[in-house]
Amino acid sequence: MRQVGRLLVIGMVLLSMNVIARGGQSVSDKQTVLVPVQNDPTISFRIWFRAGSQNDPAGKEGLAFVTASMLTEGATTSRSYEEVLAALYPLAADYRSQTHVEQTIIAGRVHKDNLDKFYPLFTDAILHPAFEREDLDRIKSQTLNYLQNSLRYSSDEELGKAALYHFLYQGTPYGHEPYGTVQSIESIALEDVRAFYQRYYTEPNVVIGVGGGYQSSLVQRLQQDLGQLPDHTVQQPGPPQPRPIHGKQVLLVEKEANATAISIGFPIDILRGSREWYALALANSWFGEHRNSSSHLYQVIREDRGLNYGDYSYIERYPNGGSRTKPPQNVSLRRQLFEIWIRPVPNDTRHFVLRATVRELQRMVEHGLSEEDFEITRQFFSKYVLHYAPTTMARLGYALDDVFYHVDGSHLENLRTITPDLTREEVNRAIRKYLQFENMKIAIVTPDAESFKEALISDEPSPIQYSTPKSEEVLDEDKLIMEYPLHIKAADVRIVPVEEMFEE
Amino acid sequence: MGKLKTYGLAILTLGAIMIGNARAEIFPYTYQTHTLDNGLKYIMIPMETPDLVSYFSIVRTGSRDEYEPGHSGFAHLFEHIMFRGTKNFPGDVYDEMVTRLGADGNAYTTDDYTCYHMTFTSDDLEEVAMLESDRFQNLDYDKAEFQTETGAVYGEYRKGRTNPYSVMFEEISDLAFDKHTYRHTTIGFEKDIKAMPQMYDYSKSFFRRYYRPENVVLLIVGDINTGRTSSIIQQYYGNWTPGYQSPQIQTEPPQHGARSRVVQYNGRTLPILDIAYKGPAFTADKKDFAALEVLGELAFGENSDLYKRLVIQEQKVEFVTASFQKTRDPGLLHVISMIRSEDDVDYVRQLVFDTLERYKNQPVDPEKLQELKSRETYGFLMNLDTPSNVANNLARYVALSGGVGVVDVYFQDMQRLTPEDIMQVAKKYFAEQSRNVIILEGAQE
Repeated sequence: MRQVGRLLVIGMVLLSMNVIARGGQSVSDKQTVLVPVQNDPTISFRIWFRAGSQNDPAGKEGLAFVTASMLTEGATTSRSYEEVLAALYPLAADYRSQTHVEQTIIAGRVHKDNLDKFYPLFTDAILHPAFEREDLDRIKSQTLNYLQNSLRYSSDEELGKAALYHFLYQGTPYGHEPYGTVQSIESIALEDVRAFYQRYYTEPNVVIGVGGGYQSSLVQRLQQDLGQLPDHTVQQPGPPQPRPIHGKQVLLVEKEANATAISIGFPIDILRGSREWYALALANSWFGEHRNSSSHLYQVIREDRGLNYGDYSYIERYPNGGSRTKPPQNVSLRRQLFEIWIRPVPNDTRHFVLRATVRELQRMVEHGLSEEDFEITRQFFSKYVLHYAPTTMARLGYALDDVFYHVDGSHLENLRTITPDLTREEVNRAIRKYLQFENMKIAIVTPDAESFKEALISDEPSPIQYSTPKSEEVLDEDKLIMEYPLHIKAADVRIVPVEEMFEE
Repeated sequence: MGKLKTYGLAILTLGAIMIGNARAEIFPYTYQTHTLDNGLKYIMIPMETPDLVSYFSIVRTGSRDEYEPGHSGFAHLFEHIMFRGTKNFPGDVYDEMVTRLGADGNAYTTDDYTCYHMTFTSDDLEEVAMLESDRFQNLDYDKAEFQTETGAVYGEYRKGRTNPYSVMFEEISDLAFDKHTYRHTTIGFEKDIKAMPQMYDYSKSFFRRYYRPENVVLLIVGDINTGRTSSIIQQYYGNWTPGYQSPQIQTEPPQHGARSRVVQYNGRTLPILDIAYKGPAFTADKKDFAALEVLGELAFGENSDLYKRLVIQEQKVEFVTASFQKTRDPGLLHVISMIRSEDDVDYVRQLVFDTLERYKNQPVDPEKLQELKSRETYGFLMNLDTPSNVANNLARYVALSGGVGVVDVYFQDMQRLTPEDIMQVAKKYFAEQSRNVIILEGAQE
C-alpha cells in the first residue's frame, strides 16, 4: 500500500537552515517549517495534521489512516483518481500519506520544472477530496488484506512488534495500530471519513513544511491556500498513561512457523531534546543500534552464537524497522517506550534467547557501560548520526519533529553537538534512571505456545545445542544463561491464536 | 567544519539538466574511471557534499556465479564472511575500527553482484581504503567462525521464508530455468544452506576465484579529491594479485513451450500471479532494455489501462506491476499481480496476455510515450541527490557493464524510442513459448 513505509525518507546529515516561521498576517499565523536549500532542484512538502490513530473513535480504529489514504489515493472534486494518476505521471512526482499514532503527514516531492503542474494537484488532494465510495472500497480492501494476510502471515517479526505495541498500550489511545482492526476497518463508512476529515483537517491543526529550492512566494501561496481549511480548534487526548507493569507479562501469539520472533518493551518517561535523552540514546546505541553490528545484543546473539539475523533496541518507536536502516521521521509520540527486537530464532532456542536478552539488559542496568565501551560508542554515535538525514525531505521531517517535541534548537544539531560532550557518568546515570529489567511486556510469535508457556512458568533450564563448534567462553556463559531466572507467573502468560490478532 | 559547509547539498548540477534537450549526457556529474595494472577498476565521482563520501566495493559475482551443484548461496554467505576480518585486523579489531569511524556501512548480494558499501566522513577515506583493501586481499576466518556465520545465513533464510514473495521467486526461478544458475534465488536452495557448515574448504576456493581485482569495481562518490583518492587506491590496492577465474555457467537453452505451476504457501495470502517471460541480457549496445522498461510501465504501471481497470475500476486485484530487472545474462521479465479472489485468477491472467498481445500489434500513443520518457528521466535524476543515492543507483549498471558510461547510453536510447520499437520488443520477448506462470495460493482457513 502506498501509505505505510513508503515515504520518501532515507538517511541524513545535519540541519541548520530550518526556520520556524510564524508570520503575523492573516494567512501566516499558522506554523510553517522551512528548510531552504537553494541549490536543490527539487521541492519537498510535508504537510502535518495533528491527527493520528489516537484520534480514532472507538470501534472505528484505523479511521485516521483510511481518511489520509482517501486524500492521497482517491478522487478530488475536480478529478477522478484515474485522472489524478494520469496528471501526476509525467511529472515523476507524487504525494503520499503517512499516518502514525499522533501525526498524519501528506508528503510530496517534485522537480522545480514541474512545480506549476504539481502544486494544484497536491493542494487539491488536501483541500477538495471527493470521498468516493469506490476509493473507500479499494482502500479498505487493501487495509484488510494487510491485516488478515500480510501482517498475520508474511512477517513474524512485524507481527511480533505490532503485538507488543497493542499489548503495551491496551486501554489507552495508543492501544491500536494505525491500520486498525479487521472489524473496525470493515465498519468504516464514507460518513465516518467525512466526519473525521471535517474535524481534524483544520487550519489550526496543520503545520506546513516546505524544503528545497522553493521561492518564498510558494510558501505564501501554500499558507493562503491551506488557510481555506476550517478554522475550528481540535481537542487532543492527553498522553497515554499505560497501566504499570508488574513483573514480566507475556503474550504468546500461536502460529505455525519455523522460527520464533520476540519483541520486548516497557514505557519510558523521557523525550528527545533533553541532555538525558541523548545520554540514553548513546547507551541504547551501544546496547542495540538498529541494523548495526556494533550492537551489543547483536554480538551476543548473532555474532557469537549465530542464532538469528540481528538484535536491536530503541528508545523511540521505530516502525518498519525491517525495511529501513535509519530512524523514521514524523512518528513522534508524547509517551515513548524502550523496545528490544529479536529477529526470528530457531524455535528450540526461544527460551534460551529470551533469557540471554533479559540477562544482557540486566547487566547493562547494573553495570552500565565500561569506559572502553563508552568511548568507542561515543566516537561511533557522534559520527553515525551524520547519516540520519542526507536528503532535504528527511531534514524537513526532523524539523517538523522539533516542533512536536518542542526541541530547543534542532534535534539533529543536538545529536551532533551533545553526543561528543557526554560523559560516561551521564550515560550510566540515564540507564539507571530510565531502564530496568524486571517489569516489561514480552510479545512472542511462536508455534506450540502451550509447551513454551509451561517452560516459561517452570523456569526450567533451557540448554542449547549448537550444530557448529563454539568457544569455551561462549559455552561457559551459556551455562549461566540457560539457568537465568525469568520469574514469569502463570497468570502473566496469555496465548492468542494468530487468527485472532487484530480481529477486533 | 563550518555548519554551512556541512549542510550543503550535492545536487547543484541537477538544476542544469533539461530533459529532452540536445545534451548528450544524462548523468549529471563528471566522473573519472581508472584501472590499475592488476585490473582493478575504480570510478571517482566528486560531488558537492562536504564531508561525506560513499565507498562502494562492487564484486561482479552474485548467485549467478554459483554454478557448482550443491553450492548455491555462497555469494551471499560471503557478504557475511567478509566481516570476519584478517590477520592484520581480526574481526573484533575490524569491528572496533569501523565502529569508531561511525560509518554507515553494510553489504548486499544480488543475482549478479555483491556490494559492500560504506558512507563516512571524508577525513576517513584513507582508513576506509586501508581496511577495505585489506579484507578483500587478506580475508581470514577459521572454521568455527565460518560455521557460526552459516547459522546466521540460515536464520536469514527462515526470516525470509515467511514472505510469500520469497516463495514465489524461488518457484518461478526453478520453473523457468533448466541449466542457468538463475534457477536458484540469491539466498540459495534451503538444502544447500543447511549443508553450508560442512563446506569450509569450498568457501576458501570460492573466495580465491572471485575476490580478485579484475572482478571488482570501486565506486567512490562524494567529497573527494580525485588526485589524492587515486594515490590512496594505488597504495592500498596496487599489490592485489590478479587471478580471477570465470564461472562455468551453462547457457540456458531456448524454452519451447509455456510452463505453469500452482504453489501452496503455508501462510495465508491472497492468490499471487507471476507471469514471467525470458528476457534479454542487459547490454549497452542494444536498446531492447530501454524499450522493455518503457513497455512495462506503459502496459502495467499506475497510469496503464490495465491498472486502471483491475485496480481502480473493477477492483479485482490489490496491485498489478511489471518487474523487468536488468541482468547480466538473459533473465526474467515478470508481471505480478495479487488477486482478491481465486475465482478471478484466470480472468486476470488472460487480461495480462491480452495486454501484451495488444502491445505487439498496436503502436503506443506517441504522447504517452513522450510523457513516460520524461518521467523515467526525471525520476532517475531526482534520486541522485546524495553520495549514497548516486552510488546505489549506479551500482547495478556498474556491476553489469563495468562502468558508468552505460547510463547515458541507456537514457539516450530511451529518448530515441519510437512506438515501433515498443512493438518490436513486445513481439520479440513476450512469446507464449517462453512464458512461465506461477499461481501461489495461501493456506485455507
